[in-house]
Amino acid sequence: MNLRKFLLVRSWQILLTFFIVLTLLFILFRMAPGDPLSTIADPLMTQEEVEILKAQFGLDQPLHRQYVLYLWNFMKGEFGTSFHYRQPVVQILADRLPKTALLFTTVTILYALAGISLGKILAWKRGSLLDTGMSFLGLLTHTFFLPWLALLMIWIFGYHLGWFPLNGIVSPEIWLDPESGLFLKVLDVLHHMALPMAVLFLTHFGGYTLVMRSTMLETLREDYILTARAKGLPERVIRNRHAAPNASLPVVTSLGLSLAFSINGGALTETIFSWPGLGRELVSSVAHGDYPLAQAAFLLIAAFVLVSNLLVDIIYAYLDPRIRY
Amino acid sequence: MSGPATDSSKGKDSHGEYHKPGIHWLRHLGENWAIYRRNPMGMAGLGLLVMFALMALASFIPPLVDPMYHPMSGVDPEIDRSLGPTARHWLGTDFMGRDILSQLLTGARVAFLIGVSAAFMAVAIGTLVGMVAGYFGRAVDTLLMRLADIVMVLPGLLVILILSSVFGQLSVWNLVIIVGLLKWAGVSRVIRSQTLSLKVRPYVEAAKVAGASHSRILLRHILPNVLPLSFLYMTFGVTSAILIEAALSFLGFGDPSTVSWGMMLQWIWKTGHMFRAPYWLLPPGICISLITLSFYLVGRAMDEVLNPRLRKEVLEQ
Repeated sequence: MNLRKFLLVRSWQILLTFFIVLTLLFILFRMAPGDPLSTIADPLMTQEEVEILKAQFGLDQPLHRQYVLYLWNFMKGEFGTSFHYRQPVVQILADRLPKTALLFTTVTILYALAGISLGKILAWKRGSLLDTGMSFLGLLTHTFFLPWLALLMIWIFGYHLGWFPLNGIVSPEIWLDPESGLFLKVLDVLHHMALPMAVLFLTHFGGYTLVMRSTMLETLREDYILTARAKGLPERVIRNRHAAPNASLPVVTSLGLSLAFSINGGALTETIFSWPGLGRELVSSVAHGDYPLAQAAFLLIAAFVLVSNLLVDIIYAYLDPRIRY
Repeated sequence: MSGPATDSSKGKDSHGEYHKPGIHWLRHLGENWAIYRRNPMGMAGLGLLVMFALMALASFIPPLVDPMYHPMSGVDPEIDRSLGPTARHWLGTDFMGRDILSQLLTGARVAFLIGVSAAFMAVAIGTLVGMVAGYFGRAVDTLLMRLADIVMVLPGLLVILILSSVFGQLSVWNLVIIVGLLKWAGVSRVIRSQTLSLKVRPYVEAAKVAGASHSRILLRHILPNVLPLSFLYMTFGVTSAILIEAALSFLGFGDPSTVSWGMMLQWIWKTGHMFRAPYWLLPPGICISLITLSFYLVGRAMDEVLNPRLRKEVLEQ
């Protein structure tokens, strides 16, 4: 299968998956107990506002017409108005998406790379003190309950030592001050990012390290490694050029498979650190009974997971020549 | 296994011979236990699990001693705020004077209950789907595996959040069912590939020739052979069910009729005690993390028993 065909097939599957999720969400919200109107109209809205919404979402029409309207509204990016913020849902989400992407993408790249390079070294030095110690540490942090680790980190590094801010994404005194330059502002965001990133990093890198370590151990028993040794290649070259690229393929696969799981962790982290991203918005909209916002935030996160999966596929195709050619 | 074609014609008596190789893991339980025992990490995990099981059993005791030790409704008449450990309350009290130790013990019970039953649901569905997909192949296979793909990319916790926004607070049992419905996909893929390799084995062919029905082949010949794998995946499933329940309770969407470790953490967080009550912050987090670790260690050790390829002496040759 060549690369183009592979990616076309995957994109098609991803679109189909998204469509199914979209449909399931429609069914779910129509199954909700009570008046379906309550899921799109705030009890505090005026009669006129409610009538407009009713017409827009076709609540006075048969179910199949409602479904078509639902899809049409989705295509137009029309998700209604948030009960809590009294703003169009799209505006709110457009503000939250980049913040989630910033935190999540940075930390995912970091722990994937750390897992691959650490696992590579541990497998190479298997049985050593470093191997035993780091494998155990990776396993331990991997099983830490994320919210608890976050609370511990806030308590120790935020409250006790005072090294990092307790929550939020920026300090208003720096961002509102016209004197402070771009560098200072970026530094401020990074300062706020440190703790949530550390929490996500610690709970994730261990899993990838262990996967990389075990696939690397298997790869090292392959005949072509023996050949490389017989040719008298330096150890470093055998490790980095011959063994590691092949061994890292399963790590990339597990990166794709565990994205959904990492998104859960991301939502918890955002909530605890008041990081104004999609996950926190979903959690708080569910708590507020803000249905339009909850629904749209969920769809956007689902799309985010699916697109990330496609990216992982592209990376995989790039790394595995059997797919590329 | 000798002469499948001739034996199968003899009928039911010798028929029994054919699935026996499949359940040889049961007959070799002692031998497997000997392999398991050689794994110190696996034994540590098992030891921890026994400890948590004892905690769950012990949770029935405190309310019997005195109603003030009831994890939900028991309030110490002399204490109305969170205090550190004393002789009356070995781990201290929470923000309204309830005993932390008895909450912790009840949490163990809830974790086992939810973890094991949700994992059982997930594994039962996954095994059934995997066997059917692998055995019948073609369109059935494609359809079921595409469905598994979709379920697998859904972030479970957020799906449950959306469900609780529509249906309101979810009870423990609803949660168990939903986690089961969200977590079967991974198991089904493993069981499917195992079924694919089993269905072309001579004894399955022989059963077919002898006129066994599909359901008989699935139940008597395939199922006993995939069960060890299902059991292995159940240990991993327990972990993810416990974590989902804990996370959900932590966010404030847990079943309010019972106390769980996640809920204890939520109370600490929401009442702002995390900066001043380490005696309260540490126990529930350590328990969730350790129970996760122990199921994981047991699962890995069982994996080594079932896959000799993974054993240390093989890997490090």
